[in-house]
Amino acid sequence: MKLAVIVQRYGAELNGGAELHARYVAEHLARHAEVEVLTTCATDYITWRNEFDPGVERVNGVPVRRFPVSRERNAEEFGRRSTQVFEEPHSVAAELAWLRSEGPTSPSLINHLRRQGNAYDYCLFFSYRYYHAYHGIRVAGPRAVLVPTAERDPTLGLRIFGGSFRGVRALMYNSYEERALINAVSNNDAVPSVVVGIGSEVPEHPEPQRFRQATGIEGPVLVYVGRIDENKGCRELFDYFQCYARLSPQLTLVLIGNPVMPIPTHSRIRHLGYVTDEEKFDVMAAADLLVMPSHYESLSMVTLEAWALGRPVLANGRCDVLCGQCIRSNGGLYYESYEEFAETLHAIVSNSTLRNALGMNGRAYFNRHYTWPVIERKYLDMLDRLEHEDAGQVNRPEPLPSWFGRRRRDLPPGRQVVDRLPTGPAAPAGGTQHAGRSASDS
Amino acid sequence: MEFGAKPRQVTMAEFNIQSDSVDVTRIMEQIRQRIQEKRGRDYTEQQIRELATVKLERFLDPQQVRSDLVEHYRQLEPPEAVDPEPDRFDFDEHTIYASSRGRMGKLIRLIRKLLNPVLKLFFNPNPVVFALTRQAEINAWTLQLLQQQSKKFAARAEFEALNYEVLNNLVVEMTRLSVDMKNHRSLVESVAGRLDFDERRARALESVVQSRSPQPPDSEDGERASSTGSGRPRRRRRRPRRRPGATATPDSGTNSDTAAAAGTPGETAQPAPDATTRPVDTAAPDTVPRQRQEAASPPAAVVEPSVRPPETTTPSPPAAPSPDREPPTAAVPPVADAAAPDPAPTPPSPGQRGTRAPAPATKTVAPTSPAGNAGTDEQ
Repeated sequence: MKLAVIVQRYGAELNGGAELHARYVAEHLARHAEVEVLTTCATDYITWRNEFDPGVERVNGVPVRRFPVSRERNAEEFGRRSTQVFEEPHSVAAELAWLRSEGPTSPSLINHLRRQGNAYDYCLFFSYRYYHAYHGIRVAGPRAVLVPTAERDPTLGLRIFGGSFRGVRALMYNSYEERALINAVSNNDAVPSVVVGIGSEVPEHPEPQRFRQATGIEGPVLVYVGRIDENKGCRELFDYFQCYARLSPQLTLVLIGNPVMPIPTHSRIRHLGYVTDEEKFDVMAAADLLVMPSHYESLSMVTLEAWALGRPVLANGRCDVLCGQCIRSNGGLYYESYEEFAETLHAIVSNSTLRNALGMNGRAYFNRHYTWPVIERKYLDMLDRLEHEDAGQVNRPEPLPSWFGRRRRDLPPGRQVVDRLPTGPAAPAGGTQHAGRSASDS
Repeated sequence: MEFGAKPRQVTMAEFNIQSDSVDVTRIMEQIRQRIQEKRGRDYTEQQIRELATVKLERFLDPQQVRSDLVEHYRQLEPPEAVDPEPDRFDFDEHTIYASSRGRMGKLIRLIRKLLNPVLKLFFNPNPVVFALTRQAEINAWTLQLLQQQSKKFAARAEFEALNYEVLNNLVVEMTRLSVDMKNHRSLVESVAGRLDFDERRARALESVVQSRSPQPPDSEDGERASSTGSGRPRRRRRRPRRRPGATATPDSGTNSDTAAAAGTPGETAQPAPDATTRPVDTAAPDTVPRQRQEAASPPAAVVEPSVRPPETTTPSPPAAPSPDREPPTAAVPPVADAAAPDPAPTPPSPGQRGTRAPAPATKTVAPTSPAGNAGTDEQ
């Protein structure tokens, strides 16, 4: 079996969520099938500037074929078109223009798929929102499998992506909440799908004492791992923690990751910067719990890693995915206000029985769903299922409207569409908290 | 939760976790329930704003303040935007001869002027020129007037916006004050109840100490004689119990004795020491045997809540506020932990007494303990 993994950026040093996801999946599926990665020469997701040479190279043993981006992103144009499609009634043509302005516009990648697509049994597209996925799915047709990595943002409300969700052979979701969102917005229940997520590899025996000795931090520790960004909920976390620290001065907040916002000066907030994986796992093992303040996550890998280490998680309850993960795993609590933050944090920190129980549940949940053998098996089972499906009954990409139809301004703003979608954590299968669920979950 | 309703006490026993049966949903429900109860005593900024807009009539006298004022102001439509000013057309007596064709225009204007006498053979253009000139002047004057009015309207709009903001703030502040007043009223009632309880408990403790002190072999009459300075029996005068809505009656002492027979700690006790200095009331002949009986028997186990102020009305330090308000003071839940020391950030408030042990609905005081151990649970 030959597989193509198509993603907007690819590289061992790229740590973006979907890109890392794609690399892990490609490297693990390469043990079971012939995998080739098709990507662009860009490394910067803001400009899509070509920085790699076009051609084929190998990254961690996986062949990577790079194609140049034909034009860099114009931030002003992209912002203007984003406002048009997210906030105002618009047309299909406006959405397509927005997609071109978003990038990474790489016609050569699409042409390669058009010419050489038959060489691949299946094409795994990552991140539905980019140029390569929208046009690639239309070219790949019945060989397209989509890993949407969707979040609750206005992009999901654009009409053009409904066709992508309905026109692929299968969808590999990251979470039940993501599946619920996409089902609700595109009515694609008939498309085969499975909630997979991504695996993680954590060391068997991290050394928390090494972290304690190196930093001199004593007492309970709350750790945050990730980009220190306002968009990740860090400002709210800092506000909440500083309020809480007045009540519980023993607790220390340890931050790991690159800051893109000022970190408040506080005796109980320690920023370690960018650390190695080994150091990261030492800190997580030493911590009493992990906090995930982000409002928008399609799947938090660091949350899964905390559970793999047997550490409970305190998540932002306004993020449906994190909230649903906590409920399904019984491995963490969640908050939606400062009061809940203080109550839940204190409950976990002060109650070792609760803390240990949540950590054990989280570890069991991780072992059940997110170890790599489980993830690989889900991918292979889905591909095997597609192999045995009747190819004549598969969905075909929907044609675009006519020239006049594309210019009819009758589409609602994307934000308005997303705001109408159901919210809250989703049940795994059967009885759901959302309206409408795919029953094709394995 | 309805404002003013008494929050139910949640004991931390509910957080005793079995490691194999953690239910995150249930824990979150309990945490949120606790927060709701705290909010019964301390509303968040957001809730106050919601209350100010939705439930205003619950807190304010609708006959004095129109609860829909804010909504009324909100519904005031801003003045519609007017079309931009059209280009002005200057007109004078030479305009009808003018041309816009540059040098050629000058020639044309010259020809027109030369032919003007011929034109006047057909009609007189002078009144038309005069009327149009006056009309242009009137237009300019009208425009100036409208601009002045527009400025006035703009100032008025700003003033109305300011009015709205002031009114909105007033309503919010009034609501906040109303909520605070209700909270303080509950606080005063609670403190009064606790004070009353503490007084009676102090008397009970003193009586226990007295009952435990060695009794002389001679009769109690001798003791009473030495304490009163006369041989006449002493009658204990009790302070009438203060209860909301109750008034002291002349037979309140009798009621107290009746209550003592029922077994409340204050009533089972000996009279307070200061009672010995009070005038002896000889009008109660049955006092002596009753007191003798009380002194001989230890205070019985009693049901505390009958004299204890209701915990639900006892305000705790305010719950954790939202970050845009004052720093929190008591938002941290007192989660019991048998396995680890609980670094409870705040000392347990009266409403949080359950942190140490599950508080039963009815609590008994140890019958007789040396050195006044009774009632330590309340300290």
